[in-house]
Amino acid sequence: MPDLIIDGRPVRVPKGTPVIAAAESLGIVIPRFCWHPALGAAGACRMCAVMFLDGPVKGLEMSCMVPAADGMVVETFHPEAVTFRRRVVELLMANHPHDCPVCDEGGHCLLQDETISGGHALRRFPGRKRTYLDQDLGPFIQHEMNRCIHCYRCARFYQEYCGYLDFGPMQNANRVYFGRFASGPLESPFSGNLADICPTGTLTDKPGRYKSRRWDCQRAPSVCPHCSLGCATVALSRYREVVRVEARENPAVNGHFICDRGRYSFGYAASAERPRQARADGVPTSMSTALALAGTRLGGVVEAFGPEAVAVVGSARSSLETQTALTALARAGGWRGPAFFADRTEQQAVAAALAALAGGRARSLAEIGQADAVLCLGVSPLHDAPMLALSLRQAARAGAVVAVADPRPATLPLPFTHLPLAPDKLPGAAALLTGAEAADAAAIQRALPLSPELWPALERLAPAFAAAGNPVLVFAPALAAQAPADARFGLFPVLCGPNAAGAALVADADAPACDDLARAIEAGEVKGLVLAEADAAALSPRLAAALPGLETLVVLDHLPTPSFAAAKVFLPTQTLFESGGTLCNNEARLQYAAPVAPPGEPVSRDGRGGHPPRDYARKLPGTDPLPAAALCAVLALEMGLDMPALSFAAFTGVGPEDVAPEGTRATRLPAAPTAPAPPSAPPGQGLVVVRDDALFATDAYGRYAPLARAQAPAASVVRLHPDDAAGLGLADGEALTVTVGDRRIEATLAVSAAVARGAAVVPRLPGWAGLPAAIGPETLRRRQP
Amino acid sequence: MEEKKDKTGLLREVLDGAAGLAGSYAATLTHLFRRPVTEQYPEYKRPMPARTRGRIILTRSPDGKERCVACYLCSGACPVNCISMQSEEGPDGRRRAAWFRINFARCIYCGLCEEACPTLALQLTPEFAFCKDAIEDFVYEKEDLLVDHGGKDPDYDFYAHAGVAAGRPKGEHIGEDEPVDVKSILP
Amino acid sequence: MTDILCGILVMLARMAVVLAVVFGLAAYMILVERKLLGRFQVRYGPNRVGLFGLLQPIADGLKMLLKEDIVADGVDRRIFLIAPAIVAGAALFSFAVVPFGPTFAVFDRPIAQVIADTDVGLLVIFGLSSLAVYGVALGGWTSDNKYSLLGGIRGAAQMISYELALGLSLVPVAMMARSLNLTDIVSAQATLPFALSQPVAFAIFVVSALAETNRIPFDLPEAENELQAGFHTEYSGMRFALFFVGEYVNMILLGSVTAIFFLGGWNGPLLPPIVWFGLKVLAVPVFLIWTRASLPRLRYDQLMALGWKCLVPLGLANILVTGALLAAGR
Repeated sequence: MPDLIIDGRPVRVPKGTPVIAAAESLGIVIPRFCWHPALGAAGACRMCAVMFLDGPVKGLEMSCMVPAADGMVVETFHPEAVTFRRRVVELLMANHPHDCPVCDEGGHCLLQDETISGGHALRRFPGRKRTYLDQDLGPFIQHEMNRCIHCYRCARFYQEYCGYLDFGPMQNANRVYFGRFASGPLESPFSGNLADICPTGTLTDKPGRYKSRRWDCQRAPSVCPHCSLGCATVALSRYREVVRVEARENPAVNGHFICDRGRYSFGYAASAERPRQARADGVPTSMSTALALAGTRLGGVVEAFGPEAVAVVGSARSSLETQTALTALARAGGWRGPAFFADRTEQQAVAAALAALAGGRARSLAEIGQADAVLCLGVSPLHDAPMLALSLRQAARAGAVVAVADPRPATLPLPFTHLPLAPDKLPGAAALLTGAEAADAAAIQRALPLSPELWPALERLAPAFAAAGNPVLVFAPALAAQAPADARFGLFPVLCGPNAAGAALVADADAPACDDLARAIEAGEVKGLVLAEADAAALSPRLAAALPGLETLVVLDHLPTPSFAAAKVFLPTQTLFESGGTLCNNEARLQYAAPVAPPGEPVSRDGRGGHPPRDYARKLPGTDPLPAAALCAVLALEMGLDMPALSFAAFTGVGPEDVAPEGTRATRLPAAPTAPAPPSAPPGQGLVVVRDDALFATDAYGRYAPLARAQAPAASVVRLHPDDAAGLGLADGEALTVTVGDRRIEATLAVSAAVARGAAVVPRLPGWAGLPAAIGPETLRRRQP
Repeated sequence: MEEKKDKTGLLREVLDGAAGLAGSYAATLTHLFRRPVTEQYPEYKRPMPARTRGRIILTRSPDGKERCVACYLCSGACPVNCISMQSEEGPDGRRRAAWFRINFARCIYCGLCEEACPTLALQLTPEFAFCKDAIEDFVYEKEDLLVDHGGKDPDYDFYAHAGVAAGRPKGEHIGEDEPVDVKSILP
Repeated sequence: MTDILCGILVMLARMAVVLAVVFGLAAYMILVERKLLGRFQVRYGPNRVGLFGLLQPIADGLKMLLKEDIVADGVDRRIFLIAPAIVAGAALFSFAVVPFGPTFAVFDRPIAQVIADTDVGLLVIFGLSSLAVYGVALGGWTSDNKYSLLGGIRGAAQMISYELALGLSLVPVAMMARSLNLTDIVSAQATLPFALSQPVAFAIFVVSALAETNRIPFDLPEAENELQAGFHTEYSGMRFALFFVGEYVNMILLGSVTAIFFLGGWNGPLLPPIVWFGLKVLAVPVFLIWTRASLPRLRYDQLMALGWKCLVPLGLANILVTGALLAAGR
């Protein structure tokens, strides 16, 4: 723990901390371009020069390159250092294109800030400026190479930190160029971070291009709702529209970065298709009319059939506040529910996954980066939880062994072992790797007799896992029973939905699931249903099919789902950006997303004749939506119900006032329920249906975000193992017709050895939800031309 | 002070006072015969200096294109928030204002927007007297603000200097070298 | 019978002429003041309404008539409404004893150019001018406003104080004219105006008269920068105009009185007597305006010190000296 003095103030920092970070811990921000806390030092920009007056190093040195040492006396504002930094800025500006007015970085540009604070105003260099040609880097990143100051942050992030190699430095000397070998979209699913880390306008955000200046935006800390990890984000909103989402530093969860799904899927909030007006029997009406009608209809059902005839369905994408309000509403009315999960098994699985976290075995995303062996069981990191892949990469960089046991083909930017195993084989594989003793070859062959190609890999992995001091098991909730008793293993469940953990905490252990409600509707026991921010079609196809049997269906939502179209009474709700809310992520960490903007039709769609309207005394359009929790309270009032004041503290043990900025773990985890039986081989012959997420547009929100939808693959793909394809008589690339219920979906076939034998990998889209657990040749058919 | 108040002091005071009175009467009397300095405004309009701060215009560059790149600096500098705009990419790839609005009812003609404007697009003109019947009519949109000349700096062209490819290709702006050939192996 | 009828007719004609002339003069005096002040300050003054702004007084009068007559809450209504009339009325009544020229004959009938040729004209003028203080004091007191109250108190104190000096300055005049009849006083100046034979009395009179009419540098009752508008803060519309007109009628009255007491009335060579009188009457308001343009306002203690410590002793001394000289001369 070296002690040193910076600008007359003593500080003690951990060994190995560079002086620039030591100064930052004192609140002294030394100018820098190339140094980044996540990327470390490169010594490329020469901007962080400070004067070392005493200690082991003396003279003018780069503070990012010198580790703090005992006895150092550092002066950041030494005249020599200041002059040096001023000259550096002038040199960096010698080739600058002077195009700040048309540059999107202007206003939050590090180069701009340092140039102005250094007092450099007039270009004294008489020579000509070096120029570069730009590349098209795809839909997310705008390239403007003339502005580059060659700090290497982009290259270090893209190649070293993320592990993708299609973007990087080229050429030498005064001609160094950062780009791809040829124009084309960046391959990394973390490419959006380039815009955040680039200290100049070289790499800027393309979807937000020419939209706004930073100072005009309303900004608020938010939480990403596009997978269960709950990465910290900052939402920027302007003119009633979220224009950009950026990474927010949360050292416990996502560090400094977020994935492109979280960054570019915000469009659902301002989408033109978003329903913003209440509807009664499909006819737009006022909020008060719709609420009164909902109250009358539900009251009628209660009167005719009793309170048990009304049921409530919530979802894993609502905030804890909404889920709590739904519970309070159901309790007040004596109604059934709320149901948050498709079936009882799923609910028990999630509860069991959370229960396993008790006793300090939960690991955060940051801690996975420090693990020395990670087994992903039934989880495809890049698609189920993209930022998990980045943490795995950091672990792998530090020498960790990474194995992914999953039926779906996996690609990761790190050295890892893929064990493509059908779901029913996963428990066996897990047992091989999570035991206290390394499994020997005989045990491996006994456990997986039909996969000889995996034996060498497992024989290599087993001793590594057995020897690991800090291994982590990343698992899907269905495999919660495989959580090893061995306390060495940290646990990291990956759930489906941003607040699935919250739903599992809020839901009663004996609450009905969607399938139970569907059965009750079919039996005529339930006549009225309240669907709150839930899409029956995506949640439970059986429930969606039962909806016409209802007397009344009240839908509260902000997405134009099929359930919205089926609603008898529709009540618009606010999004997370508008109402704010608390989400509980996969490791039971509660995080608060602050509201960033009031609801309203974006100004961009409000205009007439190319500019916003000029009547100033009107009600803003599209401001009807209310927070779902508030709507529940008003609905209770309409029906004369005495809704109890319920805080989610009753379910999580952590109240709204206790949620820390970096998140707080729930203290009330479910008491270990009987873990559901692990997946078994489906009865009869057929291929097990395994659903796969894509990076974009398969999560509940991303499906309704225009930008994310534009990135989704044009055609659905069904993936099969070559043996299974041969068994069905199908070839790679063939056009298929998939029968789902009474509908037919067109898809193409991709054959790959990376798919588990006996598994059919289909996209996780609502249209595919109706597939049975196992399919055969009658479902997958060659398309007749 | 007290001992100085003798008889000569009193006399002097009276004389001084009388002289003071006479002096002020004389001063006003001489002013009576001076030519009044008042300018008879509606009949006579004083020629205003070119840099007078009056109504705001959006000028064009020498090639006739809009100078405004909607950089938001004027709205950022405006102390009364009377400027608002939305930037977009024009068909020629140049950044421009999709709409641009100045509320002259709120404008205080401080000229900070003109000082902030990096492309010399926004300029204040000497026109200071313009009246409307309704206050909403003081809200000027882009089409009301755009003029077809270069204002005080007719020769300046931002895109001739700034090294972005909008308008003219890289390497052809003033003071630029040929673009680097990243695939060359020559030293 | 015809005599009485003729007498009444002549009387009515005289009153009508005096009223019309005085009001017309007062109205245009406002314009003259604004024009002159403008020129003293190197600007034009009003020149928009009519030729050279000649219709400005009419425009002002119309404006005042059309304005709302605001009576604030908490005022004593009767007194509030009467106060401006007292100021204007007292000034107008004084003109009853002011002679404008020598008596002339029409059809062998002597017609005096005065409404009431009384032997105690000087005292009547004094009495009426003392009444004016009621307008100021009551108007200020009843407005229920601290600025008005202060203005009213200042006005009362100032007018009472300077009335003394004013009276003392006129005693030598009466002594030398051996009459209180204003026509006689004018006749006594046929050879030499009292302004020259009584310079000290003239000086005291001019200063005291300025103070009596509340003109700059003695406009403390309405000192804008201390008291908003002093005693007439709460007045608006035509009632404010009455105060205003009263001040200008007072200025003309002062001109007439000064002409009669000190400047030799209508006596003068070549020109007809009424012209001489008119010139002398107008010279005084012009001097007052000039003063307004030249001098700053006195402080209140300076005002009181000047009145009591300087003008009153000086006036007394002047009476003594005049009396001694007259006694010696006899």
